[in-house]
Amino acid sequence: MINVNRREVLKALAALGVSSCLPSAFGLRNLAFAADDKQPILVVMHIRGGWDGLNLISPANDLDFIAARQTELRVLTEGKDAGYPLANAMTDTIDFRLHNAAGGWAELYNNNNLAFIHACGLADGTRSHFVATDMIETGVGTQVDLMRQTNGWITRSIKAQGRSVSALDAVALSNGFAGDLRGLHNALATLDVNNGLPPMGGASVSSMLWQMYENRNDELGEAGRLAIQLPMNIDQRILRDEHNRVLPYVPENGANYDKAGSSAIPFKSIARLIKMDLGLQAITMDYGMWDTHDNQPGRFRTLLEPLSNGMAAFWNDINAYHDKVVVVLLSEFGRRLRNNKSNGTDHGRGGVMAVLGGQVKGGKIYGNWPGLGFAQLDEGVDLAVTTDYRQVLAETLEHIGGRKAADIFPSFKIGNRLGLFDESA
Amino acid sequence: MKKLPDHSSDIMFAIHRLGYGPRAEEYDSLVKQSLAGWLEEQLAAPESEQEVSKRLDACTIRIKYEAAEGKWSAVDEMRPLTSLSKPIEDIWRVFDPQKPMPVHGYELSRPRVEVLAATLIRSVYSHYQLREVICQFWHDHFHVNAFAEDRLAAALPVYDRDVIRKHCFGNFRAMLEAVACSTSMQYYLSNQSSRAGAANENYARELFELHSFGRENYLNDIYNRWRDVPGALVGKPVGYIDQDIYETARAFTGWTIEDGRGIDNYRKLPFTGRFTYVESWHDGNQKRILATEFDPYMDAMADGRKVLDLIAAHPATAQHMAHKLCTRLLGANPPASLTARVAEAWRSKSEAPDQIAQILRLIILSPEFLQSRGRKIKRPLALMANYLRVMGTNFTPNETLVNQLTAAGQRLFGAPTPEGIPDDNNYFMGTNAMRNRWNLILGLAQNTWGNGISDPAAALTAWGGKTSSNREAAADWFRLLGVSFDPKWIDMAITTAGLMPSAPLSLDNQKGLAMVSALAALSPDFQNC
Repeated sequence: MINVNRREVLKALAALGVSSCLPSAFGLRNLAFAADDKQPILVVMHIRGGWDGLNLISPANDLDFIAARQTELRVLTEGKDAGYPLANAMTDTIDFRLHNAAGGWAELYNNNNLAFIHACGLADGTRSHFVATDMIETGVGTQVDLMRQTNGWITRSIKAQGRSVSALDAVALSNGFAGDLRGLHNALATLDVNNGLPPMGGASVSSMLWQMYENRNDELGEAGRLAIQLPMNIDQRILRDEHNRVLPYVPENGANYDKAGSSAIPFKSIARLIKMDLGLQAITMDYGMWDTHDNQPGRFRTLLEPLSNGMAAFWNDINAYHDKVVVVLLSEFGRRLRNNKSNGTDHGRGGVMAVLGGQVKGGKIYGNWPGLGFAQLDEGVDLAVTTDYRQVLAETLEHIGGRKAADIFPSFKIGNRLGLFDESA
Repeated sequence: MKKLPDHSSDIMFAIHRLGYGPRAEEYDSLVKQSLAGWLEEQLAAPESEQEVSKRLDACTIRIKYEAAEGKWSAVDEMRPLTSLSKPIEDIWRVFDPQKPMPVHGYELSRPRVEVLAATLIRSVYSHYQLREVICQFWHDHFHVNAFAEDRLAAALPVYDRDVIRKHCFGNFRAMLEAVACSTSMQYYLSNQSSRAGAANENYARELFELHSFGRENYLNDIYNRWRDVPGALVGKPVGYIDQDIYETARAFTGWTIEDGRGIDNYRKLPFTGRFTYVESWHDGNQKRILATEFDPYMDAMADGRKVLDLIAAHPATAQHMAHKLCTRLLGANPPASLTARVAEAWRSKSEAPDQIAQILRLIILSPEFLQSRGRKIKRPLALMANYLRVMGTNFTPNETLVNQLTAAGQRLFGAPTPEGIPDDNNYFMGTNAMRNRWNLILGLAQNTWGNGISDPAAALTAWGGKTSSNREAAADWFRLLGVSFDPKWIDMAITTAGLMPSAPLSLDNQKGLAMVSALAALSPDFQNC
């Protein structure tokens, strides 16, 4: 339970009702512990639906690939659909190309901030969205371990810190929590922070709510109390004018979210949360609908373009925080090498992860390329998994918090280091 | 003299768990019924009922958009619900590329808006509350995201009417086929574009994982070694593997929708949106699914139907469905004693035309059901309907209210994945969901979104509450809603509503009185059932 007592909440609510509208007058300081401004923040983006790693980063001149897939579902080396060449790929003989809707990522990659990991994923051979998502978010590699672990891997990594540095450890930019934050109580889920999170019904209704939920000793009671307390941490830092209207957000460093489409709201929200210096340890975001069983070419582009542009704008916006923030992108699995007749792809195995950060040794595709010949494929049909997704997460957690992978992923034996981070800094 | 409802009775529990709470005018006859008697009446629900029909006929939902030069003129009107009884071909016409009919996107999504409005009206006014609750269960089970594309919005009225509502108390095997052939599912899980050669696996996978066997019976570590599945060699595999998915996808090739596509250089499908079977798109070669051999070149649709037969009769389906239904009706981790009985009955009644009704009877009349009190959080739709039914509000649905339900965690007919909305209390208890469920009640009480003005004093009188003073009325609001309260909440609620605790009932301030009822409804006790 969070160490916030009743008097503090009531005082805070009362302050909201009577104070002038400047954030500094809100009197909420006691709610948050002193935020450690050196606290690194992990941003995890859930790419929902199983994105097609082979369509994102294609082995463009690989003959097995060309033979197995129709042209529309491959990144090409020339013509209007030519993709961005990626330096420092896994082998010298294959021309790995990034989808040409991912211009924002090409830029981040070329600036050495963004790294990709290919042929990566779950060791378990599930091709079920829901099982794969559960395993990844729980941070396990087998379905047996899924039964043993009750909380999420981000939750465990925060708890392994041994201290709660703030009243609010994590924010999920979604309606509810994904499995990776399962079991973390001082986390808040909201789709958007850009309009503030004022008390529902105003301060007096919230005081009444507090009365009614205060002494209730069950999950609902705790949920109610958290829903009153946690948003205050954020709301007090949203700038308002003299009429208590929320001021529009002004991105920094010339960052422009115009081409970010549907990803603008979550990326702006993440940027704002980071800049609030709340002492947050993790932020998660969902970016869905990658389950492209049909009409993949158009759908893939429509999803990729705003995501890539939004992430580039976001990275520019948080320029002052580059050494504090690491962004990890992951999806539940990759897709089948051979396309189906619906101009789409079915569920597969190996996929692509990405890591973005100031100390990431970017501009490189990490991993071991297994090849796409029949003998090299998983079960003869899918890109094999040569890097366990937990290898990427473990190196990330060790980098940002000095946390031992064994504490977070108990049944995982850390493999050969990918060396994703520059540890000299 | 009329007394406030007794929340400790079995029937009051049932009407909250299996419905959205009582209405004042139905309460007296409701409490005279036994649970079994009430259930029989509910299971015998007639197709239409007078009050609901009257309200559906009277309902209008605004549609407003700007003109587009040479395409359409501006529209701003309160339009009745016109698509609910239409056949699919009447709605589908707008998509015909041969007869372009440019219309604003709001016209394309309108059928979805109308089903949403009808769902809200039925939830509030239907006497047959169990049907509403069970239809929501099936909409989640056989989920189709009608927000994903316009065709899915267009297909929703038929899906809701002829698939979900028609089969909600019927036979599971029949329902499976109705779903498989529906325009909604055909498009949502891409089967309509599946073809022999490299079949689309989307529907096949979710048929097993979500619609029948469940992920707990997916033995993916065995992958393609079908002989290794326990029981396979005697024709009774305990679970399914990826090879079953691949083969099932082949079995359903040719099951498609009349979308005007060419079959060959001389023939094309009509453009109706109706289901059809195209032999030349079907992969007719032999198959092996669930350790059962399928002969090559069987009769039209026989491959797919045989898969549905195998799945519907399989013990794994019985177990999965028993657990899922019991979780919905009793709460998480239902007693194994009950789910075992239900699974057994599911199989023994698998041929019965009223299989699902018999299963519901078994669950609801079990001793375990009555022991599950307080274990479910009300879903946002239930919370909304419960409050409105108690208040006797003259209710009008609109899109703003639908968006409020979405914000509180229940995007009706629009969960982002084919899994539907999770049946998990925790899903509805996140910060955002909690804030928005409170906001839902506050907005309804204050008529923020134009869903109807309440008359709280009249409502309280109709329920037998005391209305002599603000203090007495407020306490009776808490009692009426089944809330056990700390006495100090009463004056606090009255003051928060801007009223004087010691004053006589503030009839001149209906908004204030409505606020008192809303504050009572925000309490934790009213969130659960």
